[in-house]
Amino acid sequence: MKKRLYIELENCIGCRSCLAACTQCGGHEQRNRNYVYDVNPHVNRQTMPLMCLHCENPACARSCPAQAIQIHETGAVLSALVEKCIGCQNCTIACPYGIPKFDEEENLMYKCDLCIDRTKDGIPPMCASVCPSNTLQWLTEEEIEQKQQQHDLDNGKWVTSMPYLEGETNVKVNLPGILQGTEKLF
Amino acid sequence: MQRDKFYKEIENVEHPNEKLIKTHCSYCGMQCGMNLRVNTMTNKIIGVEPRYDWPVTVGKMCPKGVTAYQQTNHDDRILRPLIRDDASLKGTKEGFREASWEEAYDLIAEKFGELQQNYGKDSLSVFSGVSMTNEKCYLTGKFARVALGTRYIDYNGRFCMSSAAGGFLRSFGVDRGSTLPWTDIHETDCLFIAGSNTAECHPTSMFRIWNVQERGGYIIVVDPRETPIARRADLHLDLKPGTDLALANGIVHLLIEKGYADEEFVNQHTNGFEETKELVRQFTPEYTSYLTGVAPEKIERAAEIYGKAPNAVVMFARGIEQQHKGVDNVSGYTNMALVTGKIGRPKSGVATFTGQGNGQGGREHGQKSDLLPGYRKITNPQHVQEVCNVWGITPEEMPKAGVSAYEMFELMDQKEIRGLYLLCSNPAVSAPNLNFVRNAMKNLDFMVCADFYLSESAEFADVILPSVTWSEDEGTVTNIEGRIIKINKAQEPLGESKPDWQMQVELAERLGKGENFAHLKTAKDVADEFRLASKGGSADYYGATWDKIEKQDGVFWPCKNDEDQGTPHMFLDKKFYHADGKAQICALPYRPPAEEPCEEYQLRLTTGRVVYHYLSGNQTRRIKFLKDMCPEPYVEVHPETAATYNMEHDERIRLYTRRGEAIYKVKVTEAIRKDTVFVPYHFGHEESINLLTIPALDPKSRMPEFKACAAQMQKLDPKKVL
Repeated sequence: MKKRLYIELENCIGCRSCLAACTQCGGHEQRNRNYVYDVNPHVNRQTMPLMCLHCENPACARSCPAQAIQIHETGAVLSALVEKCIGCQNCTIACPYGIPKFDEEENLMYKCDLCIDRTKDGIPPMCASVCPSNTLQWLTEEEIEQKQQQHDLDNGKWVTSMPYLEGETNVKVNLPGILQGTEKLF
Repeated sequence: MQRDKFYKEIENVEHPNEKLIKTHCSYCGMQCGMNLRVNTMTNKIIGVEPRYDWPVTVGKMCPKGVTAYQQTNHDDRILRPLIRDDASLKGTKEGFREASWEEAYDLIAEKFGELQQNYGKDSLSVFSGVSMTNEKCYLTGKFARVALGTRYIDYNGRFCMSSAAGGFLRSFGVDRGSTLPWTDIHETDCLFIAGSNTAECHPTSMFRIWNVQERGGYIIVVDPRETPIARRADLHLDLKPGTDLALANGIVHLLIEKGYADEEFVNQHTNGFEETKELVRQFTPEYTSYLTGVAPEKIERAAEIYGKAPNAVVMFARGIEQQHKGVDNVSGYTNMALVTGKIGRPKSGVATFTGQGNGQGGREHGQKSDLLPGYRKITNPQHVQEVCNVWGITPEEMPKAGVSAYEMFELMDQKEIRGLYLLCSNPAVSAPNLNFVRNAMKNLDFMVCADFYLSESAEFADVILPSVTWSEDEGTVTNIEGRIIKINKAQEPLGESKPDWQMQVELAERLGKGENFAHLKTAKDVADEFRLASKGGSADYYGATWDKIEKQDGVFWPCKNDEDQGTPHMFLDKKFYHADGKAQICALPYRPPAEEPCEEYQLRLTTGRVVYHYLSGNQTRRIKFLKDMCPEPYVEVHPETAATYNMEHDERIRLYTRRGEAIYKVKVTEAIRKDTVFVPYHFGHEESINLLTIPALDPKSRMPEFKACAAQMQKLDPKKVL
């Protein structure tokens, strides 16, 4: 059963466990490839994760003159192939979310590969495995559909991909505000 | 064991030449399940893999948990015993030389013997901790009383869980930190959470807590700061630090006045209702608001939500407990559940967020100055006799009750205590009023410290004994729920390090008490004796065998025999542990913090934790990821307050109290009261906020008031800043 990374932005508590976990995925050389931002640190404690959304037509791969960024059959947009990456950094500029980063020493781009060694077998990526707040979840299509229905405010605020993001993405994002539609128990 | 909706069947990734060892985290009371990855060629721990099948945390871990394994083979590990011959270097890292275990033991036996010969048995003391297994905690109590024969043993739970313990004992007659399992939490209708920065201190509770709101339930948070959980709560009661009891009384008053009291429950299962009703009558919303600074309508709304909720859980943590009325705060908030009868059934109850990994089990089995295994009292002759039977000593040989953690430092200062055996704790960071405490440690005649890193406290030692990390030994821990779980060994001890229980057995031999200890050759041997010693006590672990723990995904105490499967929910029969089977609703007069702001010290200082560090930071400050995320302390200041003092974000300023001072960077944020400043406490030396905190102790729990004292800020001389 195909599963996807699903992000519930409302849940984020800023613990950055996803960053720590990212460093623990065997293929990531102890360096995190995801990010968490303090939204307005002088005002409140709101935070949000910034993860690769694994676009269906990824700007990073399109911008690559060397075809170094491959798309896995699961839809995961992989990190640059070492033997192909020429270090031009086009991808770091092309990505609307700032996900690909450049390693000056290695002259190599690196980005989230959705823990491909795990997710190719249906095992959740490290970030979603550990996320204490269920901001990052690893869900089936049906579960995501349920989430959408549950939080459909009929006002365009439940957002999966279009029209707010750059294009269709494999990762689905739910913007803050989910509780607005919740009916209280009493 | 039953699996809840968060459980998913997921296979673990297994890499070639690796095995996974099932265990739990080394840090807080959540005791998240984890697998340690062990390289089968080198037999070393090399990483972590989620433990998806652990029912409480289903694979989830905070950043401390994810990186916990990096402690084991860390470059800072102490690999051999260290001796410092030059006492003038105490209080520094300098002067230590490596020694053999033989030499270290000989020196300890000689010095301890001399001190006891010259100054009496009680000239020695043991200061322990609860970030270690039940077996170690149990044996430490026996080591102090039998091997050293001293009355002076206490532990860092006095800075952590002792107020919760005192409050629960008074209200329920028994101290189990949670009356219900954590797997109930997401199914309740209202969470009333006081003094807990849950998202940072117990992050893996959060997926259950958020689910309450997703189901349409309510979260009410009581905190002077708008913590991440307060930000999303339905109601945030932003009280002044140190005023919890007024708020609790105010809410209990409204619960009674608005008809939310459960008369049948109150009549049949409690005492003290009428006196309490009378006492809280004066705590009108307006008066409560005057004392706490919380708007009256918020107090009324909180009472209404909690009162109406079909099921509700009252939860709290160090915010209310680390006060000089911490015990009263615990009983005060517990009154809410007792008055409304929201206890003794699934999805309703009272829970404290246990701070240390074994904060629950470690306080039950004899490390506390007045307690013996099984939560027995050292002042009760029958209890003493029961334990003597297991230990093989006579009641006359059992030392009397000692004094609490902070008071031990006072006795060191007065030279009544002259020697210290410190383990599993770092009071040179975690105790209050550190100028005094550090000086008391420095002036000891002889000090031993067992630790796996050279902590700030180890800097005062004459001998350092290298202990193992949690991953190099096995045993049980009692988690936040009261569930006894099993820690498993993933690697052989690094260098010449040893588990604490082994050191104590070997030292007992040197001290002439071999016959009481020599039969304890493995952690399992200690476990078996410990279960027997707890048998018949209120915290009865006798039936919690390692096999049963493995088979049932843990065992909730009490668990009295082989057939007993344990007690996930307390008081289902509505029987409490007081002699008449009733719970006590407590009439508690309010009193303000020991030190209130004044002309000279205008601000309220409160202290706490960040998600990246654990306790004194001795472990987490050495982990690169965690250190990078939070390298230094800071003082949180409201922008209007910062403007009053003409201070900017990131400016370094002097913060001071009547007891001490430190220099911190200002972190400007609206997420704190204007009259309050906050500093995290995980840092050592001149960065320790506990240089400033007040040693005002709770009369019952002897908990210092870390959470409230009067402080002042001052700009630094611009010349000195550069």
